[in-house]
Amino acid sequence: MPRNNGKNWDKHRSRRRKPVRKPETVETSRQPAVQSREIKRLLEGIGSPPARPFKPDPFQLEALAALEYEDVLVTAPTGSGKTWIAREEIRRLLESGRRAWYTSPLKALTNSKYQEFIDEFGAARVGILTGDRKENSEAPLIVGTTEIYRNQLFDSLRGGSEVNADLVVLDEAHYLADEDRGHVWEEAIILTPPRIRLLLLSATIGNAHEFALWLEEVRGVRCGVITGPGKRPVPLRSALLLPDRRLLPLLNDEGRVNPEVAALIAADERK
Amino acid sequence: MPEMPPGILLTALDSYKLLPAIVFLPTRRRCDQAASEAALARRDPSDTRREARRDFMRAFVEEHPEVRGHRHWDTIIRGGVASHHAGHIPAWKLVIEKLMSAGLLDAIFATATVAAGVDFPARTVVLTGADARTGSGWRQLTASELQQMTGRAGRRGRDNVGFVVAAPGLHQDPLRIAQMLKAPPDPLVSQFRATYTTLLNLLDAYGSFKSVREIAERSFAYRDFAHRMVQLERSRDESEQKMRDTLKHAGCDMPISVVLGLERLLGIRARLQEAKPQTRAEVFHRWLNEVVRPGRIVGIGRSGRRLVMVTEKRDGSVRGFREDGSSASFPQERIGRVYSPLYRLRDDDIEKAFEEIRERGPELTLAEPRLRDADAEETDALKIVDDSIENLIPSNIAAKQQCMEVVWGLHTTAEDYERASRRLEALREEVWLPFEQRAKVLAEFGYLDYDAQKVTDRGRWLADLHIDRPLLVGEALENGLFNSLEPKQLAGIMAALTADEDRDYGELELDDDLVTSLARFEDIGFKVSAEEWKHGIEPAPELNFSAAGAAVRWANGAFWSEVVGETRAEEGDLFRMFSRTGEALLQIAGLRRSHPQAAQMAATVAEMVLREPIR
Repeated sequence: MPRNNGKNWDKHRSRRRKPVRKPETVETSRQPAVQSREIKRLLEGIGSPPARPFKPDPFQLEALAALEYEDVLVTAPTGSGKTWIAREEIRRLLESGRRAWYTSPLKALTNSKYQEFIDEFGAARVGILTGDRKENSEAPLIVGTTEIYRNQLFDSLRGGSEVNADLVVLDEAHYLADEDRGHVWEEAIILTPPRIRLLLLSATIGNAHEFALWLEEVRGVRCGVITGPGKRPVPLRSALLLPDRRLLPLLNDEGRVNPEVAALIAADERK
Repeated sequence: MPEMPPGILLTALDSYKLLPAIVFLPTRRRCDQAASEAALARRDPSDTRREARRDFMRAFVEEHPEVRGHRHWDTIIRGGVASHHAGHIPAWKLVIEKLMSAGLLDAIFATATVAAGVDFPARTVVLTGADARTGSGWRQLTASELQQMTGRAGRRGRDNVGFVVAAPGLHQDPLRIAQMLKAPPDPLVSQFRATYTTLLNLLDAYGSFKSVREIAERSFAYRDFAHRMVQLERSRDESEQKMRDTLKHAGCDMPISVVLGLERLLGIRARLQEAKPQTRAEVFHRWLNEVVRPGRIVGIGRSGRRLVMVTEKRDGSVRGFREDGSSASFPQERIGRVYSPLYRLRDDDIEKAFEEIRERGPELTLAEPRLRDADAEETDALKIVDDSIENLIPSNIAAKQQCMEVVWGLHTTAEDYERASRRLEALREEVWLPFEQRAKVLAEFGYLDYDAQKVTDRGRWLADLHIDRPLLVGEALENGLFNSLEPKQLAGIMAALTADEDRDYGELELDDDLVTSLARFEDIGFKVSAEEWKHGIEPAPELNFSAAGAAVRWANGAFWSEVVGETRAEEGDLFRMFSRTGEALLQIAGLRRSHPQAAQMAATVAEMVLREPIR
């Protein structure tokens, strides 16, 4: 019975709707219409690369080499492998019985780094210090917020115990420009004893060399600047999606705005 | 261009194989709506990843029970899309990030906060606008914000290419996006500033303001100042050299202080000259302001024959009575004459007054000032200045007249010198001044001894209190405010202090005791702010009472779902606020030696606040 009902209803509906052209439904439009040559070029190579064994980038190796004898500022886009440098350096230190502090700006990041390092080095060798979490605080590797690290520096200056580390990693070092909390990064850098090696991991910034010069002046230790791959780890292409679902390249190969896009916008403004 | 319906947007992207994507939207609410809408439009029962998502989420719940029954659960499982923003609790954001990196989601609708910090990339980043939402409206995205977002496009090892797609939206501007994509990265700009905590810690460690100042002057901000100072010093030195050389060359054996002296005297002279009345009308106007007052009779018009008894004067207009008793109102400038006697404003006296003026008018007329008399004071001062200028050049100089001309000729050089010196001084103070202001405020409340440059015992524990507005909390502790509280109320007060100033955490009713305590806390805050204001420190944000209500409820043992339901606040906001409240309480709990009672209580409340899901 119900089945019949359904049929009738369907029949009825399709008859009534006959004159109306069926709109393109969400499900049936998976295939793009005809692709222009332009679009083909825009989308060329889309997809996943074949699995490759991991091979470090030259800039990562360069940073590791520099850390042997100087502070290092690494500036590179997100996802290009800055953390790998920190992890390998920490591994090297831990294996020779030395210690490290890893600071990050956010509690969520600190927690996930803690887990990551436990998986990597074992729970016994990693501790965490945040505003509301204190675990294994005597471990050779401490993960914590930059504020807690700075507070430890204050304590040691005021007669408390020394900050016991051979390396301090400041992740997301560009937080130095954060309006509310940036001063904490500066204080941490100024007050870190020069005997402790600093590794700063930063997003790409416009004045990396000036920043490194300041680090050298303040700490009296040479500071190398390692710039990540000039290109992004995965190349980026830009496009404009129009209300009719057409896709147009936004910038052409020379980095200029696609003339077709410019013309469309000019026409739109005239309306 | 209006925004594309999210279902259509994803279909379009899919047709170009541009999924998975992160779609940036301006508000949290838009993200939630878009995820639900897209999920409805995309019900695809044949999607084999549905089961995978369900299994994944079930496994996740084992470890994070707080995400069980989340209102967006179905959106994710059926639609393969999710919303991600600061309104969600961390565990929920975590499961979304994990689903994404497991390849089980097609799209995430996110606010720009995702771009900062959290690392989960997609093949494509979709921008629906070139503006960002602010508390009060819209502003343009900055190039670095945009680059943070596009930094999520293209998964390393999983994508050959990443895409940024500008999609239709009300605040869309493809040309501006194109421009920002090409912009060079922003420079790192120092935000170094003075805080009570830094000052107390450094002063306690180094024992003198000079050392604290040296530390402050090693900041990245000061490096920039230092560069500007070097330039200013150079231009000041150049001016100085020019003055020296010119004097020497002209054979005028005198120090450059003579030239600087002239510059200063000329400055004083110009200021005196400005204060001096320049015209007769100006002199007369000043005189009227002084002598016209209620109880005096004035004559109107140039002849001054029509008499009026002044009863009132305001903003340059005058009211009074004429001889016939009618009232009069006129601008003060129309007065031509003023008579000296002051009469009482009673009917009988007024009658007699007019009589007296009619009879003895001429002899009772106040003498108008002459221009020369009026500026006598300034003229005298100017004369002294002029004499000083005359005598600037020591009398033993042979060619006095000639050297005078040389000195005058160096006037603008002397001005340059002084300007550079003043700017240098200002820059030197810029970094240190905020510390000095705070030192004075701390001294006022007994946390440091300003003259001895020492942190007091009281200041020592305050230095350990790493908290927002430590001075306010310190004063509350010193005043014993926390000792008279119930533990949960302490949570309320710390929540009111640490919460975002203008965020709404619901209108839970506050009981009388809490309101009284908050009022006392505010009172202390007012005393602190008043002292800060006196020393040029900006006032701190206000307490957030709605946060207090929510925190008391939570500290009292309510279920998470109850607090969320009753406050109607977003879970993520509550989570952050409670988490910060808990941290602040732990800070107070650390003051076991100086304030054992409050510390004990804070430790107890902290445990109540920092329970699941706040850890």
